[in-house]
Amino acid sequence: MIRSYIKIAWRSLKTNRLFSIVNIVGLSIGLATTLVLFLFVLHERSFDTMYTQKDRIYRVLLNTTEDDLETWSNVPSALGPELKDKIPEISESGRFLRHDFGGTAFIKSENDVFAEDKLFWVDPSILEMFDVEIINGSGAENLKSPNNILLSESTAKRYFGNKNPLGKTLTVDNVNTFEVKGVYKDFADNSSINFNVVAPFMMQNAAKNPTWNNASFETFVVFNSDTPSVSTSERKIQGILDVNVKKDEQWYNFSLQSLRDIHLYSSAYSDSYIDNYGDINQIQNLTALAILILIIACINYMNLITARSQKRATDVGINKTLGASVKNVVFRFYIETGLITAIAMILGGLFTIVALPVFNEVAGKQLDISALFSVKILGFLLLIWLVTTFISGSYPALYLSRFSPKEALKPSSRRGGMTSFIRKGLVVVQFSASVVLIISVIVIHQQLEYIQNKNLGYNPENVIAISTAGIRGGQANKALVDAFEKLPNVSFVARSQGYPGMGVSGRSIQKPNSEESMGIQTNRSEYKVSDVLQLNLLAGQLLPKNKQQGDTLVEVVVNKKTVDFLGLTPEEAIGKKVNMQLGDNAYIHGVVDNFNFASLHSPIGGYAFHNAPREPKSYLLVRFSNEVLTETILNFENAFKNVAPNSAFEYTFLDKKLELLYEKEKRTANVGLLFSILAIIVACLGLFGLAAFMAEQRNKEIGIRKVFGASVSKIVQLLSVDFMKLVLISLVISFPLALYFMNNWLQDFAYRINISWTVFVIAGVLALLITFVTVGYQAIKAAIANPIKSLRTE
Amino acid sequence: MGNTLLSLNEATRTVNSGSNKVTLLDNINLQVKEGEFISLMGPSGSGKSTLLNCIGMLDSFTGGGYTFLGEPVHSMKERSRSKLYKEYIGFVFQAYHLIDELTVWENIETPLLYKSVKSSERKALVADMLDRFNIVGKKNLFPVQLSGGQQQLVGIARALIGKPKLILADEPTGNLNSKQGEEIMELFAELNKGGVTIIQATHSESNAAYGSRIINLLDGKIVSE
Repeated sequence: MIRSYIKIAWRSLKTNRLFSIVNIVGLSIGLATTLVLFLFVLHERSFDTMYTQKDRIYRVLLNTTEDDLETWSNVPSALGPELKDKIPEISESGRFLRHDFGGTAFIKSENDVFAEDKLFWVDPSILEMFDVEIINGSGAENLKSPNNILLSESTAKRYFGNKNPLGKTLTVDNVNTFEVKGVYKDFADNSSINFNVVAPFMMQNAAKNPTWNNASFETFVVFNSDTPSVSTSERKIQGILDVNVKKDEQWYNFSLQSLRDIHLYSSAYSDSYIDNYGDINQIQNLTALAILILIIACINYMNLITARSQKRATDVGINKTLGASVKNVVFRFYIETGLITAIAMILGGLFTIVALPVFNEVAGKQLDISALFSVKILGFLLLIWLVTTFISGSYPALYLSRFSPKEALKPSSRRGGMTSFIRKGLVVVQFSASVVLIISVIVIHQQLEYIQNKNLGYNPENVIAISTAGIRGGQANKALVDAFEKLPNVSFVARSQGYPGMGVSGRSIQKPNSEESMGIQTNRSEYKVSDVLQLNLLAGQLLPKNKQQGDTLVEVVVNKKTVDFLGLTPEEAIGKKVNMQLGDNAYIHGVVDNFNFASLHSPIGGYAFHNAPREPKSYLLVRFSNEVLTETILNFENAFKNVAPNSAFEYTFLDKKLELLYEKEKRTANVGLLFSILAIIVACLGLFGLAAFMAEQRNKEIGIRKVFGASVSKIVQLLSVDFMKLVLISLVISFPLALYFMNNWLQDFAYRINISWTVFVIAGVLALLITFVTVGYQAIKAAIANPIKSLRTE
Repeated sequence: MGNTLLSLNEATRTVNSGSNKVTLLDNINLQVKEGEFISLMGPSGSGKSTLLNCIGMLDSFTGGGYTFLGEPVHSMKERSRSKLYKEYIGFVFQAYHLIDELTVWENIETPLLYKSVKSSERKALVADMLDRFNIVGKKNLFPVQLSGGQQQLVGIARALIGKPKLILADEPTGNLNSKQGEEIMELFAELNKGGVTIIQATHSESNAAYGSRIINLLDGKIVSE
């Protein structure tokens, strides 16, 4: 019996090529999308699951309690050891710091210099927490004494080739010298933590003199049970804080985050040294999109099957007179659907293999094709196959099996009031979804465009930031500045701690005679920095040119937001003493207009350039006139190498760095675009098939009309107008939905566009155009056919 | 002539068309004995097809009594009714109604599949039938590859494969040319001689003449026999 059904299904597939192709291609696109997404979700969910203590490990988060409430993933260095000592449930704690608070290290081996962005200063306990496996030499114990260093396997290879690295000497930033003591196995792809080079945290000043001020240290704890009482422990941590920091000086409190949540639920936290976070929202959105595409494909199937219900009903009728029961008929439709979905699965699998590299490219992932052949995926495939078969097969199976043989065999019975209503409804659903996607893609692109062209209050173009962390000593740095100033294409040069687009030092500024304070970013700079950045000076002067060694006077150039907070005009502010954790002797020297030093997600906060010798000036900022770029860069490198032959030349263009801030949005836009195109293709496939069917069904009517003088254009109109109506209804449904979704999305940006009515016009016209092209082809084909042929068929 | 196969007693069928009640069959009284060959005649709309459908239990009378092999059909449940017609009745249609996706062999085999007949037995039965109708050479062809007459032959073979007591044929030659039509009617006559009861609806006097009994219908009533 089953064999007979499969035979019928297979032959019917072959005879109705167009319908089969539309169905199978549509379904396989849907399935391929779902499959890629499933691989992606699986990968994202697998993060940090390989660690044996994964249920016991927690990260300590810091929540600011003043001004704008933020959550940081770094805490003060004094907290870690206290947690282990004072809370009995916590069996271990450990801290780590990315070199130079997130900077690049210049590591010199025997004869090479490497720019290393994954040098971490780590407590020994961290290595045990995360099952770091030593494959050569020794491990964690080396972090208990200074000047030892551990390398990951691939880093060791990079530095020393095939030579044994043990006992070799490495110099970091030309300051510290280390001996390589061990090599560990590389961290897994799906580990949040990933160190290339591990140096002892105990060498850091923050370890020697732990404080409760500088919250810059990522801190992990291990509980002694798999199901720790997190809230109790958080209360105990508050107790520790109360002992060490006076109540009125507490501008933060702590909370705990499970290791399992770190990968997906941290994207809103600032200042982490972990740089491969995922985003649960993204996963949810993509999952929703995949399901949507699959549903659209299933709708196609249902539509096309029921559109041909005339033929189907006759088949059902014949089979019933031959003795088929309702059960037989229902079963038969499921078999048929199952066969089609099975073919679609295989094709979808092939699509996946082709599409995965594209997805990796667009979404910035490294998913591996071999993951496709795991038991989980095969199980998932089976599940998807069953679900798709069930969804797509149910409607035809249940609807058509109900026909009584007499009805089914009547030569010209007009059925389908209800079916055609449902069919139209399904088309409306498909198109509404597609239009929402079209609008979303347009809005996302407009917003990104807006961000990239917004006047930031400074000019990031033609500015290069060269890392000078490897150059020590005032002499060398002075020489470097001089050398650059002499270069032909260079207009301004300034040394600075950081630059807009990267985090600098977070401090807080106190309003005189009040409790109020505000977070402020402080950037130690030199006087020409505002020329390099082309800032707009509102009052006062730039930072003074020279500063004597040992001078305790600190000059500060603040932004407008800061003087607004102090309740002063820019002019009034000049010369005022400020209390902003830069010592007792800090005065406002100048005021610049506001500029967007962070991403446009956040509103402009306080920002100050100062000359207190508290942080190193790690960058040389150079404004250049944009001529032959490669040559310019080559000149820069030569100048740099002349002064610092032992340091690696590492640089960033400010505008490129800014683009990175919106990488996530760009990815979202690209992924959204990809999926929207797929969804629209699938929906169009369905529409195409449906239009073909409609034309076929109305063949006779068209013939008669032509015989009585209808023109081709009238016939095309006749056939298209129904579909156009459906698309119009879809527009009415989708516009408010899209408006709602996109307004929500835009809330993430402090600076955002208003959604303009033109977006809706574009989307509407696009949808109508697509429909017209899809339907029009069939309509014209039917309209120009010879009427005699169509009339003869009956 | 044998036992009574079926009997209709004041059988009536009405439908509601809008607010009007339309009587399709009006107090039909009819006894059919096993081995009869009945031709139903009458103009379009006289109720021939409706009567055939009701007898074939694809449709039901709305009034009166219908007894098939001594069992009262009118008071049966749907399930036992369909069991009855699967067992005893074969259908032949004007438009043949072969399944396009199946070959001649497979079309004839289908009713046996629904009866869950074993594979070896099915093979034997289908082979017999192909032999009997001289279409062995066409067993692997699809319906579209056959002429109308050949398709109807397959249709009849399919109706006969389940060994029904009664064959209901609605205009079996309606789509055929006169030569093909004659051949089919010859076949019916032969089958009838072999003991199969046949009721056919037809417009053609000459076809009707093959039957042992002619019943004329007009506006849902039997007007003459």
